[in-house]
Amino acid sequence: MFTDLFHRILKSALVPLVLGSVGLSNAASVDDPAAMLRSSTDEVLSIAYSGHGNETLVARVRPLLEKTFAFDVVTRQAMGPGWRQFSAADQKRVTELFTELVIRTYSSRVVGTQRPKITYGAPVELAPDRREIPTRVSNSSGTEPFAVVYRLIKFPAGWRIYDVLIEGVSFVANYRAQFDEIIQNGGAPAVIRTLETKLAAPADSHS
Amino acid sequence: MNHSIFSLLALLLCLSGCAVTAKHSEPQPVRSTASAVGDNFANVPVEKANDPLLRFNRTVFGLNDSFNNYAVRPFARGYAVVVPLPVRNGIANFFDNLQFPVRFVNSVLQGKLTRSAQETGKFVINSTAGVGGLIRVSDHISGLANVPAEDFGLTLGVWGIPAGPYLVVPILGPSDCRDLVGFVGDYAISPLDWHTLGIIHCAYISNAASIALSATRYVNGLPKAIEAYDQLKSEAVDPYIAMRDAYLSYRAAQMKK
Repeated sequence: MFTDLFHRILKSALVPLVLGSVGLSNAASVDDPAAMLRSSTDEVLSIAYSGHGNETLVARVRPLLEKTFAFDVVTRQAMGPGWRQFSAADQKRVTELFTELVIRTYSSRVVGTQRPKITYGAPVELAPDRREIPTRVSNSSGTEPFAVVYRLIKFPAGWRIYDVLIEGVSFVANYRAQFDEIIQNGGAPAVIRTLETKLAAPADSHS
Repeated sequence: MNHSIFSLLALLLCLSGCAVTAKHSEPQPVRSTASAVGDNFANVPVEKANDPLLRFNRTVFGLNDSFNNYAVRPFARGYAVVVPLPVRNGIANFFDNLQFPVRFVNSVLQGKLTRSAQETGKFVINSTAGVGGLIRVSDHISGLANVPAEDFGLTLGVWGIPAGPYLVVPILGPSDCRDLVGFVGDYAISPLDWHTLGIIHCAYISNAASIALSATRYVNGLPKAIEAYDQLKSEAVDPYIAMRDAYLSYRAAQMKK
């Protein structure tokens, strides 16, 4: 059971690849979140598997992720109710730092993973401007497939991702739980300090 | 012998943990604000985890972290060099297939008879066409793919037994009271342990062989496990909370399946 959990968490290693796969929204997909997820999958998978070195991957995926994610919404959610007490300047700084953390997470996970096969489920309406799209990710190595659910929000410019759930574990809820105590003890300055320390550490640090 | 000591220890740990009063706060409904797009999300309160043993758990988490750094990671790296990924995947599939009785029995205990039939189908097909379970042939058969795996912790949950406090178990890692009892229950159902528990007596399988099989299963899973653990740590701002939330959310999602 315990190692099973580790395996499940590991499966999430493939997910950012899938996140990246929804990068390029085009005019046809502005009103259709499912089309947005589907249409750009191959394009970004192609970038990830173009044979270029991993060291440039962060730079190459950044523009795609900035078009794909509602980073301001993601950050606000990850901070929880404490966000309201942040000053405008702190909110801006936290958004910058947290966005950087998410983008780095993405690129570190792409490294060494296999090109996955993605099966899409039907979108579920959460609210008039929000949808949930279940997917199933499998890879060619013959290990057990896993469930990834995307939550999208509609902006004037199109649909953007605001949360991803891997086997039931919400990306933003996980960070919200982590930041809760930090915000209660030290407010926005503690959050900024924590994120700056995290980003200053080497990407492969285990400490 | 060692196994029964472990089982006893697990039960004691669990009972002591369960004696602590559970504090659960229900999440409040999302308040809607019209000020800005998506702004209402920020009002979702943080759901408090049932973790009255926080200080003890954090200590064990730290000990496990050292164990992972100084014992597991070097060993897992060596194993990964000697045994290539496709072989490791095959071995993992083999042991996963052998755990069929655990999933079957728990499906039945939960009254999920269709699921127990699916598990039987998976076992037959993967054991034959999948060459003794090495290949997950069933994933390519509609009706047999995506069958949620049941275990005794989930069975206890379906029976209405509360999860109890979150626990970090030495070496084994995250759990809760209910899952720890479930772990012991599944241990008895797992074919790998039948011999050591005296359920079957076979002249050709010794205790040593049975333990060796369990050890192989554990070791084979280490490279993946340590990779996942390192991934979690490299992304988290508080690895303890990240692991706790991931464990509890994952188990809650499994319960709903």
